[in-house]
Amino acid sequence: MLTDVEVRSKKTEVAITIAILMASIPLFLAFSLLVLSSFSKEMMTNLSLESFRFTIENWINVLQGKLAFTGGIRQNILKYTFNTALVALGVAGVVTLISALSGYALSRMNFRGRKFLLMFLLMLHAFPGVALIVGVYLLYRLSLPSSPSLVTTFSFMYVIVARAALEVPMATWLMKGFFDSIPWEIEWSAIVDGASRIRVWRKILLPLIKPGIAAILLFGFLAGWQDLIYVRTFLVEPTLATYIEANLEAEYSHMPLIAAAGTLYLLPTIIFFLTSQKLLLETHSGGIKG
Amino acid sequence: MRGYVAVLLVGILVFGAIASGCISSEKPTTPEKVEVSLTGDFVKDVVNIGKALESNGVNEVKFTVWGAGDPNSVMRVYGIVEAAERINKVFNENNINVKIVVDTNYVASFQQLFQDYLSKQPIGQAGDFFVNSYAFIPTLAKEGYILDVTEYAKAYEKELSDFYTPLMEASKWKGKLYGLPQDTEARPLYIRKDVAKCSGFDLTKLEEKVKNGEFTWSDVYAKAKAAKEKGCSEWGLIHRKGSAHPDLIQFIFAFGGTLYDENEDKLVLDVPAVYKWLYVEWKFARDGILPEDIMSWDWAKQIHPAIVSGNTLFDIGGTWYWAEWQTKDYYVDPKTNEPRGLKPEEVDAWFYYTLFPAGEKGQKPVTLSQPFVWMINSKAGAQNPKYDELKDIYQKLAFLMILKASDADINAIHSVISSHLPVRKAAEDLIKDEKWLNDLKNLNIDISSGVKAEIADIVKATVHPINAKFLADVSYMLEYTHLAPSHPKYPALADLFKDAVDKVLRGEMKPEEAVQFLIDRIKADPELSASVKIVGEVPKDWQFP
Repeated sequence: MLTDVEVRSKKTEVAITIAILMASIPLFLAFSLLVLSSFSKEMMTNLSLESFRFTIENWINVLQGKLAFTGGIRQNILKYTFNTALVALGVAGVVTLISALSGYALSRMNFRGRKFLLMFLLMLHAFPGVALIVGVYLLYRLSLPSSPSLVTTFSFMYVIVARAALEVPMATWLMKGFFDSIPWEIEWSAIVDGASRIRVWRKILLPLIKPGIAAILLFGFLAGWQDLIYVRTFLVEPTLATYIEANLEAEYSHMPLIAAAGTLYLLPTIIFFLTSQKLLLETHSGGIKG
Repeated sequence: MRGYVAVLLVGILVFGAIASGCISSEKPTTPEKVEVSLTGDFVKDVVNIGKALESNGVNEVKFTVWGAGDPNSVMRVYGIVEAAERINKVFNENNINVKIVVDTNYVASFQQLFQDYLSKQPIGQAGDFFVNSYAFIPTLAKEGYILDVTEYAKAYEKELSDFYTPLMEASKWKGKLYGLPQDTEARPLYIRKDVAKCSGFDLTKLEEKVKNGEFTWSDVYAKAKAAKEKGCSEWGLIHRKGSAHPDLIQFIFAFGGTLYDENEDKLVLDVPAVYKWLYVEWKFARDGILPEDIMSWDWAKQIHPAIVSGNTLFDIGGTWYWAEWQTKDYYVDPKTNEPRGLKPEEVDAWFYYTLFPAGEKGQKPVTLSQPFVWMINSKAGAQNPKYDELKDIYQKLAFLMILKASDADINAIHSVISSHLPVRKAAEDLIKDEKWLNDLKNLNIDISSGVKAEIADIVKATVHPINAKFLADVSYMLEYTHLAPSHPKYPALADLFKDAVDKVLRGEMKPEEAVQFLIDRIKADPELSASVKIVGEVPKDWQFP
């Protein structure tokens, strides 16, 4: 029988759901063990709950920036969280601004090399950031300010721009999709009324693609928040990622404490995904109609 | 037309950007350098430097110290903080309005810190002081990332003569001194006394027998096998894992082998010694005396609990284990079924310790050390005012700070609370002084309140006459010590050793196959191949035990 929409049989749906759940189990277990370990005196490395002994000491120590239960030096964990957030917000801002402008241009303007640029953007997205790091480091050294007091600020700016550059190609494609979904007539009538292109973009189109902007902001934020390689290479100040990496020493570290730091680091990602699941799914399924 | 205008505008912009960097309204001037000479009189030198800083308008000097290690070893950075406090006191007493302020950065992973130093030093953002393994000195010195302090040290020859010579030598590269030793350690063979008693292993005068080379690894094998067969312990031997702490290379030295050719500056694959080492590992694992998967055991959940719970007769460990077993909850108390740290009395009552025995008759016992060194960044002081003029002053002040941080009491405090060995005789004497130890226990010592507060709970958990006696007892081991080669390619070779040990332990390869595996892997890596000299052959008719 023909139907106007594609409908799977109940059996197939159940089978797919079970397969997805099965595939998710290792991931779910790994994250569960991490979170449980952060509240345990002993690291949980298997499914046995025998090694779970409840404590909140790990969290207290992490929030106090302590590396161990005895003595040691307190690290400024709030500052590291701030640094991580600064990079994440910076990347989100730069990616969103550039992709909103370039996405509009690619969607609405016909210029020489447009098709090539679109293909080139896709190709750029395929480049892993780590493959570019030598060249990016060379640029970093060449552009470094001579005054040592400016290096820290510069390193923030540089890491934001460098990390954002990796996200811009895909974000531009996504933005182009959002602009494509807006009827040309809306923009046309404003231009006929005498509005400039930039005014139309700012006053009419941007409000219509708010969900898209939110999605790009979110992707940019997560890319900046999760980054390790670029912040490790370019940023002078530590972030949560580099703090965890520097203290992940299998022999010395109190692993449940590292688990607490890891969970803290994961929190924004979990919160964002839980609160914006619908938005992200819609974005991935081909843009949102404004 | 619009296109031309755009190109013109871009051109002007680029030119402007370049010009703004190149054209300066002021003519470049060469700053007049201010210098002081070190006299060897500490107070006089500090005063001279203080006056020079003050007369140049510098009233605050900022330094950063980077260090790494286990949580009990925080004096690696607090030593510098304490040194600054003591120098500030000298400034005060001499009415010099200069203050040193020290910022600290202490992490767990010393390899990670080294990587961080490598990336931050060229851009002037690494710590002014860098406390790390001597093994990194060649790489850092070669790149010019650390300061050559040979000339400064000459003024303090008398003071530095108190330091143990092998440790001073470990702080040198190509004859130049690149820092001062901060701590070291030995790697004793621990023996569970209760398991030994159960299996009829008499420990009387064992230390002497090991020293004389009478008690060899064949004897270790026999005793370990007996302990297992009699049901006294689950395992006969537990050892460390991984390649970052190259403990197992002690076997090479114990079988009379070598790892480094100083004349050619090449690493050595001493085939006979490496074969014997791998054979011992293979034999222990095949007979079920040593876990075949030990190289993937977890430190906190398997290795340490197995040792402190008496599941093994022998353990190849480190001096720092002594404090670690007391400060970490590796032991599950059978009465309460709760994990806890051992009491000093328990560690003392349960563990015997001796040198790593000779591999076979005719060889000598050994131990292995990895000294940590206080190094000075070649850009030390760069964050401070008038760096170009006062560079010499900042660098000399930095040297005086590491010298002060090596004060006997600071070094002794670090040794006692972290179970590392002191680097100088005066510190060793202090550790043996009961009154001083009691004062330390009560924190009735002359250190700054900030440092005192930071180490108070470590002191409470670790300072005990039993621990001090342990340190005094194992200090002699430094006479037998070997150092892992400080060669840039050594980590790559150590990784191969780790793989080979893992393969023979698991029974995937026989010892001779593992040796061939090592040779093949070395030859497959052009850089490693150029850095490693392969000597000797697999011995025929060699028997173990």
